[in-house]
Amino acid sequence: MDRAISRVFIVGVVLMVALMVNVVWIQVIHAGSLRRAPQNHRVIAQQLRVKRGLIQGFDGSTIAGDAKRSGFYYRTYPQGPLAPQIVGYDSARYGQSGIEASLNGYLSGSAAGTQGLIDRLLGRHTPGANVRLTIVPAVQKVAQSALGSQIGAIVALDPTTGAIIAAASTPSYDPARIDLSFPALIKNPDAPLLSRVTQGLYPPGSSFKVVTATAALNLGKVTPTTPFNDTGVYDIYGGKVTNYHGEIFGAHDFTKALTDSINTTFAKVGTLIGQAALIDQMRHYGFYQRPPLELPLGMVYPSGRYAGAKLLSTSASMNPLDVAWAAVGQESVLATPLQMALVAAGVADAGQVMKPYLVQRVTSSRGGVLSQASPSLWTTATSPATAQTLNVMMQQVVNAGTGTAAALTGIQVAGKTGTAQRGASNVAWFIAFAPANDPKVAVAVTIENTLFTGGDVAAPLAAQVIKAALAQPGLP
Amino acid sequence: MSRRNAEAWLLALVGVAATIAYVSVYAARFHEISRDSIVTGLIFAVLFLVIHLTERRYLPQADPYLVPLAALLSSIGLTEIYRIAPALALKQGEWLAIGVALFVATVLVVRDDRRLETYRYLIGAVGLVLLALTFVVGTNVNGARLWIRVAGFSIQPSEFAKLAVVVFLAGYLNQNKEMLSVPTSRLLGLHVPPLKYFGPLLVMWVLSLLMLVVMKDFGMSLLFLTTFIAMTYMATARIAYVVTGAALFVVGAGGAQMVSHVHERFAIWLDPWKTASGSGYQLLQSLFAMADGGVIGAGFGRGYLLYANHAPTVPDLQTDFIFSAVANELGLAGAIGLIVLYLLFAWRGFHIALHASDGFSKLLAAGLSTVFGLQSFIIIGGVTRLIPLTGITLPFVSYGGSSLTANLVLVALLLMVSHRSMVVEAGSVTERLRLAELV
Repeated sequence: MDRAISRVFIVGVVLMVALMVNVVWIQVIHAGSLRRAPQNHRVIAQQLRVKRGLIQGFDGSTIAGDAKRSGFYYRTYPQGPLAPQIVGYDSARYGQSGIEASLNGYLSGSAAGTQGLIDRLLGRHTPGANVRLTIVPAVQKVAQSALGSQIGAIVALDPTTGAIIAAASTPSYDPARIDLSFPALIKNPDAPLLSRVTQGLYPPGSSFKVVTATAALNLGKVTPTTPFNDTGVYDIYGGKVTNYHGEIFGAHDFTKALTDSINTTFAKVGTLIGQAALIDQMRHYGFYQRPPLELPLGMVYPSGRYAGAKLLSTSASMNPLDVAWAAVGQESVLATPLQMALVAAGVADAGQVMKPYLVQRVTSSRGGVLSQASPSLWTTATSPATAQTLNVMMQQVVNAGTGTAAALTGIQVAGKTGTAQRGASNVAWFIAFAPANDPKVAVAVTIENTLFTGGDVAAPLAAQVIKAALAQPGLP
Repeated sequence: MSRRNAEAWLLALVGVAATIAYVSVYAARFHEISRDSIVTGLIFAVLFLVIHLTERRYLPQADPYLVPLAALLSSIGLTEIYRIAPALALKQGEWLAIGVALFVATVLVVRDDRRLETYRYLIGAVGLVLLALTFVVGTNVNGARLWIRVAGFSIQPSEFAKLAVVVFLAGYLNQNKEMLSVPTSRLLGLHVPPLKYFGPLLVMWVLSLLMLVVMKDFGMSLLFLTTFIAMTYMATARIAYVVTGAALFVVGAGGAQMVSHVHERFAIWLDPWKTASGSGYQLLQSLFAMADGGVIGAGFGRGYLLYANHAPTVPDLQTDFIFSAVANELGLAGAIGLIVLYLLFAWRGFHIALHASDGFSKLLAAGLSTVFGLQSFIIIGGVTRLIPLTGITLPFVSYGGSSLTANLVLVALLLMVSHRSMVVEAGSVTERLRLAELV
């Protein structure tokens, strides 16, 4: 009997050990995937019990605030949807996006440093930290209403710091209603949740000529007065490059090639400088890199040459016709509105592209500063001299070229239009900065799916946003 | 150090641990719970003092570890219940008082466990009546008929029937173990003992299935059946009983699959994700709560166990799923610790069985330890998805009066066996004389 009893006990020990192995599996080995399971709402539900930090505009006004209902906090948007694709939504059901997602550690109070540790030891919840963005609500509102019902994006930044002061993307959505509208939003073919400023990859068209011009001026292959002759067509490598609407410009200099956006001349310049110099110049403006914004990684795309959804390497081979078309911003070159704004900003800031940023400051619920933006150089695009040359040429675009619709009384605007063909319609561009002699704001405007040119539909919106930005008492 | 002094020290340690746990819960949740509940803690201390003094008077040579283990488990349970639903903690305190009264009554009335052998059929019958009563006047909760209501109390008779069945089996098997060990007839090519001796055991098997089908009490059915198989094996040392029992169990389980209640339990076990917001919800929430605990957990009172409206995040958290609550707040350390406590309890129980002085006591102690260990395994395995979930209580920790009181009686019986075996081993003349008078 004793042996049988011992054996039953041994079976019992084995069963208990199996239990222990199983809890190790659940609580350690498998714990991460259980926590991340979409069916598991514990993390979000816990965060809903803590007052979430505010997301504020640069002026201190609340963009995303809090209200409490039956013990749970929920988001309110006192100014209506303001840059909702950037600020993001915060949903117990559908998760988070934008700043709400990338700065969730601060906003939810879980990344509160020493105070958080003390609170945890005392069993208290640390209220979330407040995030102040560089977005200036007054400028953002102008950008949003300027886009209106058109599909597109506007981004404005301070070229001297890299601070993004407006980032509008349409169509838009109301983050306050996300729990109800999410299923319809993700099915909408116009993608209202898409942050077109950072995720919209468009052929930059003639706005890209600023990049080509930079490379050619840097190499000394051209000067603003270098003479060219346009016959309406540039034959190369068995193909040809033509002008928009088949125009013929005849004899002209390089400045006029930029102001009137002459494709054949820029294609020739492309041939002159070659693939390596062109791609190298793109890299120096920030192409082929993900702009280091404080957004979730998947929300910011690098610009460059693409094959399908894949960014090609800088050494991907191109034939001479490819190079000629790339030099006029077509071929497989794709750029986000943010990247093209950074091109304008690079010219504006004497060839220096400042690191773009969205978060000015993070302050704890007790007022301590947890993080403070400090502007820094991102990449050097060109020399101050070349930048100055381009600055003057881009002023001519607005004063006497394709971009006259962007002109403002009393403020010298410098810019470049772009009209890229995509399918049966155009992507209209305008990139600009102002005031030309002391730039305070750089913008990029992109309108999708239009039958008009950048000079027609994008330039006037750039003017509105520039005017609004320069009217601000202080910019980031 | 005498066994009782050792126990006193251990109980004092448990008292310190329980105080720390209570303070931790109170510090974390003082804005939600009342300080008055400290009364519960004091009641708790006094009650275990009563048990200790009863042992000093009547069972001085009993095992010194079982009562501290029971006290530690109950204090963990009481603390966790206090944290989840403060009002229930006081009720659990009341039940503990009743349980201690039953403990003392058992020691005073029974005195020597061998007297139970004489009344094995009566006790077995009482167990059957308790179960039958549940068939007849029971109330349905969560699809299972487990409770009867007496004078405002909800009683779960199967918790007491469990003890009665172990006592009956220990007596019956001890009387008939020789006959059951010797196969005399053949059935379907298998040697089987005579039906006369085998019959009552068959009744046990049918009873288990009836519990499953009629009362839909999957957990208790599984517990009864496995205890019955284990005890038959321990009495006869014949592995054939285990094989036959396992085969019968498979047949029973296969048949039980036809009962939708049981079928659903299996389906949830196989894939809870498929019904994540339906029938699989509870089990998944249990796993999520455990995963949140990590290695050391947030501490008593600091885990995320309640919604803002004070509803638990895991349904039935204070009863069947209390293990998940402890695993959430104390993490892996607490979960393993709790399993180790049950293992230690079972070890002491089997230790007592191995040292018991007679066949009945051996089988009784081994059977009680088996039923205790198995019950812990079945419910912990259920809430951690090692085995299909069957709703039974976690001994001493779950909220529930019947379970708590029945398990205190179980401890009393084990202590009686332990005390007597020590006395016999020590050969104390006076004790033997005293015992002789009683028998």
